[in-house]
Amino acid sequence: MTRKTLLGILVPSLVVLHLFLHVGLSLKGAAPDLLTLALLLAARETGMGGGGALGFFFGLLEDAFSVLAFGANTLAMTLLGILGARTRDLFVGDSLLFFSVYLSSGKLLRDMLHWVVAGEAMREPFVNAVLIDGGIAALYMASLGILLVFLFGSTRELR
Amino acid sequence: MASYTDPPEEGRGRRDLTVALAFLFFAVMALYVPPGTQSQVAIGLQRTVLRPFIMIQELKSGLILRAESALRLQAQLDSLASVVASQAPLLEENRRLREALDLQARAPGTFLHANLIRPGTAGSESMFLLDVGSDQGVRAGDPVLMRNGRIGLVGVIREVTRNQAIGLDWSHPDFRANAMTADGETLGLVEPRRGDFREADRLLLNAVPYQERLAPGTLITTSGLGGNFPRGIPIGEVVELHREEGGWLAEYWLRPVVQTGSVIHVLVVRPDSSTERLMELFQEGGPGG
Repeated sequence: MTRKTLLGILVPSLVVLHLFLHVGLSLKGAAPDLLTLALLLAARETGMGGGGALGFFFGLLEDAFSVLAFGANTLAMTLLGILGARTRDLFVGDSLLFFSVYLSSGKLLRDMLHWVVAGEAMREPFVNAVLIDGGIAALYMASLGILLVFLFGSTRELR
Repeated sequence: MASYTDPPEEGRGRRDLTVALAFLFFAVMALYVPPGTQSQVAIGLQRTVLRPFIMIQELKSGLILRAESALRLQAQLDSLASVVASQAPLLEENRRLREALDLQARAPGTFLHANLIRPGTAGSESMFLLDVGSDQGVRAGDPVLMRNGRIGLVGVIREVTRNQAIGLDWSHPDFRANAMTADGETLGLVEPRRGDFREADRLLLNAVPYQERLAPGTLITTSGLGGNFPRGIPIGEVVELHREEGGWLAEYWLRPVVQTGSVIHVLVVRPDSSTERLMELFQEGGPGG
């Protein structure tokens, strides 16, 4: 299975699963951020334009339930999509370590961007929101990403 | 001068960057568009792409609500069952009180109404306390009755204080009553016999002449002999022959009219009550009385 085909199946599945867990079941922090994972996986394949477009759409999906900070997720995810795509030009990164760092720092960056854009009225203290909650969520999401690597064999298709 | 970049690759890169910057621009714009437009976009997404997931959430909420409703209904059902269960003894108590009051109304001054209390301590089996005493005219030896459809003998008062009386019921080993059949043709002596457990206590009619045969269901009442009890108080009904002694006496098992465990309100017969009036009442107090 080629990398494109695999991502073509995996990314929509992650999006649907994310919406099912977060919107359908309201699991919030108990479920990993599969939307960001999908974006980070797809961004390295699609390029900056595709990453930005995907991030924009994913962000809008998240913002559909955000009344007071509409656009914060959209901007954060769009930037993340663009930067994620840019990493492919800067880092070849085939190792598992790079992949873990890429996913966890991507998630941390996404939370940080959202925290900055969301505005004071909407955000919790930085340490709580980004460093503690964001850190745990980043590790959670990165672990799942690594699990996916193992699930889809020892190939480098996802990295 | 030769270029170091592949021209088509460079063009694609620029196009990619332009698209990325365009989406970045839209993303920034999304932050600053008027709230009305923001909510329109949000509602549009909720009604289309997100609709299936919202429906799942509605389904989940409905299930939770139904589960909570089921739990609430179960709790209400349990409460109702508890209320009904607690009211059943009240209804029974009410019925007995009505019967007792009815009897008192028909024969004023004949009976004294009292509440019966069982101590429940070890060794107090077959004993009871009444909340009436000498101040209310109760004396030792007064018969204690209960009306449960039919008037029946509960026991007898043994000790009396000012506002309390202690009695023993028919299951007490010391209980004895001179008895007869309701028609007065056959005499005997009633005494208790312990069962394997207290609810199985029974009455035995003994000293019945051998030639007198009692049919099951025959009503046995007090005979008035010996002066212990007024004549005619129902004690029990013949169940069966227990044994015959030496061919000249017979013993019969009786089914007591009053089961002592069910007694709560009793009537104490006043010592100065007219025997004739009591006999009339006991006959009226029979089945359908």
